Amino acid sequence: MRLFGCNRVQCLSVVLTLYVASLVIAAPARGAQQRPVQRRELKLQIDDFVLTDQSGKDFEFKNLNGKVVIVAFAYTTCPDVCPLITAAMREVQSNLSAAEKKSVKLLTVTTDPEIDVPKVLANYAQRYGAELDSWSFLTGDEMVLKKVWKNFGVGVKRKARGLVDHTPLTGIVDPHGVLRFAYVGPSPDKNLVLKDVRSLLASR
Amino acid sequence: MDALYAQRCYNCHGPSGRGDGPIAASLPVAPPDFRVTVQRKSNPQIKRLITAGKGIMPAFEPALSQSQINDMLQMVRFLSREGRDISWWENFDALVAAHCSIPWEVVLGYDEPAEEKRP
Repeated sequence: MRLFGCNRVQCLSVVLTLYVASLVIAAPARGAQQRPVQRRELKLQIDDFVLTDQSGKDFEFKNLNGKVVIVAFAYTTCPDVCPLITAAMREVQSNLSAAEKKSVKLLTVTTDPEIDVPKVLANYAQRYGAELDSWSFLTGDEMVLKKVWKNFGVGVKRKARGLVDHTPLTGIVDPHGVLRFAYVGPSPDKNLVLKDVRSLLASR
Repeated sequence: MDALYAQRCYNCHGPSGRGDGPIAASLPVAPPDFRVTVQRKSNPQIKRLITAGKGIMPAFEPALSQSQINDMLQMVRFLSREGRDISWWENFDALVAAHCSIPWEVVLGYDEPAEEKRP
């Protein structure tokens, strides 16, 4: 069936992208601390992308095929919700078993590539005690990042140097590259995230 | 300077620097009370914290100029004094601005003419 010139899969992707994007309006980064984290289940195919990790190496999303991926959007000089999101990611990582860490990857994708070059991301990762075997911090060309942000439904608006409004999204992508859970808010509950991650691991 | 504090520090450190900002309660570690911590630190120590960050506090060096970091340092020092808050600063800021653009004798209400005008 074709609708408005799209096939069913394209229409579904557009609808889901618009839905996640609508959460931008519901919970922008600034002031989001007043709102509880919203958890949503969805099915949104994530396209492959190539970015640069904290060590300056290319990072290809398609290489994670077969793993459950927890993706958070944040930037290092954020004075608002990002520290809470990254601290929650750290909590999740430290609660994964050694076996789970082999099947789960954590990603932090910057929303401020102007500031967040690999060296800055490496310092940030170190301050949070991130285990880099299973957690990568990604930056890259703004045009590439814009596509990634759009694919995940993350709105980004630069306000000043080192100050960006963005959707405080933490998502969980299944082993087939489909975004299945979206948490929008400052500090996703680690137990809920772990439960969702484990449900995806169990269904592989 | 107050805008800089409002944008980058207020959410955690709060209006008086006591660690009572809007998101402070959600943080895994309570932000410090400037009256206690800043008072016992030197300016280079505070600047290092601002530039390099600590724990979950961002490292601001990549984003801010040296002049902005110095402004932030002054604001932190200002708030570390008992009884100060950002509303106090706003009044102080206006007073400083007035002193810069209006002759001092007008601001201070001198009765005598200024020194250089005397015969």
